[in-house]
Amino acid sequence: MKPPSAVEPSAAKGIAYLRGAPLMAFALIYTIVSGGPFLWVAMMSLRTTPEIFASPYALPSSIHWEKFVDAWTKSNYGTYFWNSTIVVVTAVALLTVIGAMVAHCLARYRFRGNRLVRFVILSGMILPPQLMILSLFQILLEYHLYNTLTGLIIVYVAGHLAITVYILEGFFAQIPQDLFDAARLDGYSDLEIFWRITLPIGVPALFTTVTLNFIILWNEFLYAVVLLTEDDKRTLPLGIMHFMGNHQLDVGMVATGLMIAIGPVILLYAFFSETMIRGMTAGAVR
Amino acid sequence: MARVAITELSKLYDGGGEPAVKDLSLTVGNGEFMVLLGPSGCGKSSVLRMIAGLEPITSGKIAIDGEIVNEIPAKDRDIAMVFQSYALYPHMDVFNNLAFGLRRRGIAKTEIERRVQGAASKLGLLPFLKRKPHALSGGQRQRVALGRAIVREPKVFLFDEPLSNLDAALRVSMRNELIRQQREMGITAIYVTHDQVEAMTMGHRICIMNKGEVIQIGKPLEVYRNPANTFVARFLGNPPMNLIPTSVEPDGGAYQLRVGGMSLPTDCWPAETLSRLGGKALLGIRPEDLYETAQRPDERRRIAIARAHVIAVEPLGAETLIILSLEGAAEEVTMRSGRETRLRPGDNATIELDLAAAHLFDPKTAQVIPPVHEEREARWAKAE
Repeated sequence: MKPPSAVEPSAAKGIAYLRGAPLMAFALIYTIVSGGPFLWVAMMSLRTTPEIFASPYALPSSIHWEKFVDAWTKSNYGTYFWNSTIVVVTAVALLTVIGAMVAHCLARYRFRGNRLVRFVILSGMILPPQLMILSLFQILLEYHLYNTLTGLIIVYVAGHLAITVYILEGFFAQIPQDLFDAARLDGYSDLEIFWRITLPIGVPALFTTVTLNFIILWNEFLYAVVLLTEDDKRTLPLGIMHFMGNHQLDVGMVATGLMIAIGPVILLYAFFSETMIRGMTAGAVR
Repeated sequence: MARVAITELSKLYDGGGEPAVKDLSLTVGNGEFMVLLGPSGCGKSSVLRMIAGLEPITSGKIAIDGEIVNEIPAKDRDIAMVFQSYALYPHMDVFNNLAFGLRRRGIAKTEIERRVQGAASKLGLLPFLKRKPHALSGGQRQRVALGRAIVREPKVFLFDEPLSNLDAALRVSMRNELIRQQREMGITAIYVTHDQVEAMTMGHRICIMNKGEVIQIGKPLEVYRNPANTFVARFLGNPPMNLIPTSVEPDGGAYQLRVGGMSLPTDCWPAETLSRLGGKALLGIRPEDLYETAQRPDERRRIAIARAHVIAVEPLGAETLIILSLEGAAEEVTMRSGRETRLRPGDNATIELDLAAAHLFDPKTAQVIPPVHEEREARWAKAE
């Protein structure tokens, strides 16, 4: 006779699998839906346009790495890449410093009207960009910032301050007040406390906002396409338009351009996704 | 070293309500260890935070060494504080936690090194200098917090319930450590706690607070022996002082206290004061001033005999607490007895009250009725 304990674990395992099945199915479908198109574009980036038109979903028969060189050299990709880097790095740096300062103030100080200030800043999150694009266009024209990278940087910083402050404030508010009191008694001023206590302790949350802002801004298209018109000012997502003529569409080259544009984001996410998720879910170190 | 003088200090928090601190005046001498003792929410931490400069003062004055510091920001007051949560900087190792306050003051690197090493060796922290706070035990964190205060060599130490997060055994050893450090360095210290054992053992003097006001200030034993009112009588001592409602009845030219079926003489208290009580008083007597017959030391002379019924017996090992109801009285009283007792729940017993150690309180004002002095003094002289 088999001892009952030998049966039960396998039965329990089976039940556990069954319970996990809906979740697994969901995860599988989600992966196919979100990863499928990406893989498809990745494959197309290695095939020529005639090949693609002949059989859109086929695997690459011969791999055309030279398309990446073509995309970079035959269009203005170097410039676009450089523009994107300047705009995104500057905007993310400004967002991090300004956002952290605002979040520190909102989390730490009780001042007259602080709830109003918080409401005004955070309400920026609910306004859709399409709503503001006309007025922004007008304002930038007025201040001679239209068609400049500076103008785009300012728009990016303003547009993403809300979500940055929202994430950072939640984290900073959990840092125990005693730490700030201790630093004050140790002789430090409010600004020094921000640099020496809040920022270093808030590193996980800062990672989150840096990664998040970088990914979103690197891929940003709407503001860039409206606010930049000269070719040598364009950022990467606009560079792809280069391959879309008025009458014809070079699908293969668009795919290659997309893969170049998406590269840095994939790298960043691969390295920092863990830290980013930890920063969004974890509290401050006690 | 410094003298801290607080004059008519008040604190009213935003949102109104009762003031957290009301007209508090207190002077802490040079090198003195003053304990602020009271129940939670009595305003003692607010006082500490105002001295530190972490909380603005509503009215009144705080002076350190004669200089009024009301308007001086916390960072310039040269005060060190140890927090209940330890408040160690989580991103710095022990060395940098200790050195953080010194760096700000522009002290030379070699001197910082010397002071940190000195404090760390005093507190047994040398092996942990490179560790982050999360890798330390509760007791080690507490030591780092103390060390951070010590290296600064400040004018005043402030302690905000620093031992309440430690387990019982560690608390006793840290308590002694803290006393030793303070006595050695001779730095003025103000210590907030709600733990009466800490207050009794650590302070040169205790300041007992309730509802934002000072109730009584004095040396620990002085306050224990001579509580100013029923609040102090109940708050200090574990178990607290028995407070028995009595009636004060004229008896010829003098007065008698009647508790249930028992009459007690009142010659410890001036007759003139007793006459103003309106016939009612609270008799306060500590559990250790009640005796089982034949267990009383011989020198106690002012003894009253009472009959009582034993409700419960609680053996604590070193001593036994006996809960009694006095014959004819509703109140329960607690008696502290020796390791061995013959009494069992349900017994009827004869107990003895040491009247010379008893206190009488006015039930209307809750204040103590000052005894006739010679009697009391003689008793304590003998006891010591």
